Amino acid sequence: MKNKLVSLEAALAPVQSGATLAIGGSLLRRQPNAAVRELIRRGVKDLTLLTWATTTATDMLAAAGAVRRWEGIYAGMFSHGLAPNFRRGVQSGAITVRDFSECAIVARFRAAAAGLAFMPVRSLLGSDMATRNPEQIRPMACPFTGDKLHAVAAAEADFTIIHGYAGDRYGNVQWPVVRDSDDIDQLMASGARRLIVTVEKIIPHEQVKAQPTLTYIPGQWVEAIVEVPHGAHPVACDSLYDEDEEHLRLYLDHAKTPDSMGSYLDRYVRTPRTHDEYLQASGAAARLPSLSVQQG
Amino acid sequence: MSASIATGPSGFTVNELAACVIAREIRDDDLIFVGVGTNGRAFTLAVGIPLTAARLAQLRQAPGATVYWGNLLDPDLSRMPDNLRQDSLTRWQAAACPADTGFKCDMLARSRFDVSFESAAQVDRYGNLNITAIGEYAQPSVRLVGCLAQPEHLAFVRKPIIVVDLDRRTFVEQVDFVTSVGHRVRGTPRSEFGLPGPGPALVVTDKAVFDFGAEGAMRLRSLHPGVSAEDVLSRMGFEPALPQGDIPVTQAPTYEELSLLREVIDPSGVMMRV
Repeated sequence: MKNKLVSLEAALAPVQSGATLAIGGSLLRRQPNAAVRELIRRGVKDLTLLTWATTTATDMLAAAGAVRRWEGIYAGMFSHGLAPNFRRGVQSGAITVRDFSECAIVARFRAAAAGLAFMPVRSLLGSDMATRNPEQIRPMACPFTGDKLHAVAAAEADFTIIHGYAGDRYGNVQWPVVRDSDDIDQLMASGARRLIVTVEKIIPHEQVKAQPTLTYIPGQWVEAIVEVPHGAHPVACDSLYDEDEEHLRLYLDHAKTPDSMGSYLDRYVRTPRTHDEYLQASGAAARLPSLSVQQG
Repeated sequence: MSASIATGPSGFTVNELAACVIAREIRDDDLIFVGVGTNGRAFTLAVGIPLTAARLAQLRQAPGATVYWGNLLDPDLSRMPDNLRQDSLTRWQAAACPADTGFKCDMLARSRFDVSFESAAQVDRYGNLNITAIGEYAQPSVRLVGCLAQPEHLAFVRKPIIVVDLDRRTFVEQVDFVTSVGHRVRGTPRSEFGLPGPGPALVVTDKAVFDFGAEGAMRLRSLHPGVSAEDVLSRMGFEPALPQGDIPVTQAPTYEELSLLREVIDPSGVMMRV
């Protein structure tokens, strides 16, 4: 096996402006925020994002003017309301959106994972998701029954970025026994072309080998793995730490106007040179013990 | 909002009334889909009232009814978390937590769900729902959250129940964006689309309950106690069909239902705070 453990900078270096990124996590959980901050620091622009239920990752990229197009099931801030920067981007026409239902986006990632150009779904019949997106959602008849269906295009991303719990230097990523599984990270990973995974902790390969059923992302799928403790901050990594409500409120206060959001990005994203510096600058470092939910 | 939580002259809140109306729609062994919702009033409508109703049904006529919440199958409703921070959700005990949400999508698409609950920014005469964008899709006046699995609810679930407050901005003649398909879209009847499910069944609001009548148009089923038809119509952007003769009054909660709601299900009042 090949060592795939690299720095955050090195892992994300191949991601250039204009790329299509699939971004993992769901709601206030395992958004790959440290990776997103690194992309913003580098000034990557003009991205197309493919997501499940996205919050801070998409909203920060939108604030940085880095998003050209978004495709997914949800972009908001969960219990904190709508995603202010994403919303401004869409309402101003700067961000093009194409909406999909949960079955439809799952089908798109399953198509990518299976090496197919499309997958059929029934969910979109009659919906404006289909009428407004004839390029990616096309009517078809079931070749066996003749039933009305739609073909939805495979979710082909140039890069897939996921924040995971723990992994070894070979890129084998494991989930804990008790976790929140309300996402499609494993499916996204299995359909990835170039997969970059940040994890809370690098663990010994011996530990991985003892419980291989916990490996949800095998190293063979992975291009680079990076150790980024609290890499989902300010959202949660279930089983390890909760969302940082205080920082989320600070984020949303700044997000009220593009100007104040610009100062947020300067202060908390562009100025810190590393993830550690971010944790200090954001005040997270002092709050980490109180956010911990680790048991045993 | 204060009207929703105030205990009226009849001795129950509008939220309690809604929970009881919904609970009576649940049959034994039903599989019930509840969304994750957000905060404040939206939480009460999307999560608080549905979970309370599901638990009430479990304690009365439907002991075998189960809920799918988040990605948890049959979470223990006798021990609901008292907050919605991640760890409370992570450690909420349940019968199953499938490896990813794709399994839930498959269960939806195979029509395994009996009941679901829907919130929406716009609901129209035919029960089409919009949670995606207000105004023109490409450059909307208000961009909302997206679509989630709501299209699947209206496509596949046996009895989708819409839970919203009655308001002219919400009840519109035609939704701006059809996120989820009701009984007729811009003149085309639901039957032509090929969707397997029957479409939305009920609309439970803070003033009245609606169902869908001939041609799939929304129909006033009952007025909540003390609410007039004029008041209801003044809060809608279209005129619903009216029942023949007198308009029934929504059946008030019984003493037993209220006791269960207040003393057993949610004694600290976290589910329906506003």
